[in-house]
Amino acid sequence: MSKPREGNEARPQRGVDEAMGAEQMERAAVSALNEAVRGLGAYHMNACVKCGLCGETCHIYRADPTPENLPAVKADKVMSFYRRYHTLSGRIAPFLFGARSMTPEVLEDLVDDVYGRCTCCGRCGLHCSVGLDIASTIVTGRRILAATGKVPADLQAVVKNQLETGNQMAITQDELKSTTEWIAEDLKLEMDADVQIPVDAVGKRILYLINPREVKFFPLSLLAAAGVFHAAGEEWTLSSRFYDVTNYGLFSGDQQAAAAITRQVMEEAEALGVEEVILSECGHGFRAFRWEGPNWLGESYEVPMRSVLDLLLEYLDAGRIQVDPARNEARVTLHDPCNLVRWGGVSEQQREILQRVVSDFQEMVPNRENNFCCGGGGGALSMSEYGEIRVGSGQTKVDQIKKTGAKIVATPCHNCADQLLDLSKQHKLGLDIQSVVELVFNALVLD
Amino acid sequence: MAGISWYVALASVIWAIVLLTIQLLMAWGGGRPDHSAPTGRRSRGILYNFTAAMLPSHKESARHHPAEFLIGSVLHVGVLLGVLGFGITLVSPQQAPILPVVTGVILGISLLAGAVLLVRRLVSPNLKAMSSPDDFIAIVVTGGFLALSILFAFERVAVATYFAWSSVLFFYLPLGKLRHCIFFFAARSDLGGRLGYRGTFPAQPKQGSTR
Repeated sequence: MSKPREGNEARPQRGVDEAMGAEQMERAAVSALNEAVRGLGAYHMNACVKCGLCGETCHIYRADPTPENLPAVKADKVMSFYRRYHTLSGRIAPFLFGARSMTPEVLEDLVDDVYGRCTCCGRCGLHCSVGLDIASTIVTGRRILAATGKVPADLQAVVKNQLETGNQMAITQDELKSTTEWIAEDLKLEMDADVQIPVDAVGKRILYLINPREVKFFPLSLLAAAGVFHAAGEEWTLSSRFYDVTNYGLFSGDQQAAAAITRQVMEEAEALGVEEVILSECGHGFRAFRWEGPNWLGESYEVPMRSVLDLLLEYLDAGRIQVDPARNEARVTLHDPCNLVRWGGVSEQQREILQRVVSDFQEMVPNRENNFCCGGGGGALSMSEYGEIRVGSGQTKVDQIKKTGAKIVATPCHNCADQLLDLSKQHKLGLDIQSVVELVFNALVLD
Repeated sequence: MAGISWYVALASVIWAIVLLTIQLLMAWGGGRPDHSAPTGRRSRGILYNFTAAMLPSHKESARHHPAEFLIGSVLHVGVLLGVLGFGITLVSPQQAPILPVVTGVILGISLLAGAVLLVRRLVSPNLKAMSSPDDFIAIVVTGGFLALSILFAFERVAVATYFAWSSVLFFYLPLGKLRHCIFFFAARSDLGGRLGYRGTFPAQPKQGSTR
């Protein structure tokens, strides 16, 4: 794997940093650092012993074992700021204690480390000698860079789309309407029933949030969900304005943007009068909305929220849908999205579902909270300048999948699905990548 | 007689305790309320993170690097023993060292472990990439403390000298990386608690050996 780029001149223009003077930039950076370490976060800045034993826990280091890819080396660059601005010894004798000031050059150099060489998957933290939350330290680096206008342009564009249009792909309401209409027509034929995809219907039981990729590139996921909802007799609706389950503010480090994206969705849920919000299969979306969102907003949600995996398992347990695992004959393995499993605590639901809807399920090793990132997390898929690192870092995942002998990789995350598709093409694996709901739909037994 | 060195040693311990307490309180900063609805229990996550999660079977940093894990563990056992011995001597300077041979052997092995880690830091490209003078000072100060503790155990060095070097250790403790002696517990509690709250910890019982 090579370095992400040849020089600073190759980086797309990020705008804000050009207008900021060094002093202004340092003030903004220090303010972001202070906010990030306020309350508990500083624990992790003080505890690293720099033992260097975290290398093999990281998929990026495993693919390219150089010091710059070592999680502790990346994190130490952020910790050096903490030592400079938050410790007396670092202020008095920065050289002795490895404390660094946040100059424009230092911040510029940090960009590749925290956006390009880390997907914030958190695996290193689980296996750290000390137990440091290394990923959150990297996120602190991202927050500092976001405050100084140094978010990679492609990633920033996604956040901008979400804020301005309500979805990351700037899909128009007409586009959503036509897609849902043809999906409903398709389902009517396939299920021989009057299947509807309600949009902006008030007073339904659930508001279903989807990944805009489901509208633009992978309509089978939405089709499958709509089919399963119909079979279960669910009362549901999409929103035409705020249906996006993703939240790239989590990745960019711009928590104000992340909070604004969260707020617009939750206000929509209240306006539609639903009983609960169901998040479709999206790893970071689940983490962002379910766990980080209330903290970005500074208050608990009025409307409860859970993953569609919980709902699917509920349907199966209650007998609201009938399935036949023989309809999914090929061997299936499961990729655990880091943000859903490690950071989200959802690990058993998808397994219980797959055990019932496929006839040959084979676990990857390691799995669950110990599973390796596929390489597509942390916004990596949206940052074209790091494409080479992203695809290269998937080698561990490729090896995991090969060992299972599976033909189908199920993953409850569209980001992971995109990365797995790229890996399958790159390594000529011939894999079929499917969401869990697609496998459930395929196994449905209709009356 | 310990004389003034006793007062210096006592002052160094007070300095370390006070500064570490202040640092810990400042890092806590009133805590961070979690507004999300829990699916697990914070306490269970913390307990798990300090027990099963620390075993080599669950922790790759230990499983993939058994030698380094063992060496590091030996160093820490020695330092803990050394600090315990220092505490006893500080409270009762006239007290003869307890079990000098046993103590000496353990501290000796521990000192050797410290020397290995120092060499490792000097030659490993990964460690060099993130090391600052503090990383070397910390191990030299700690190693010196272990060496003086051994010499004192065998009555080869005056108590004043022993106290003097120990004071260096305790004065340095809150300034650099050695403060991980406190923040280790804080950081592991925080991450364990958060993952416990979200239901990730304790890890679910697994079917088969698929971890």
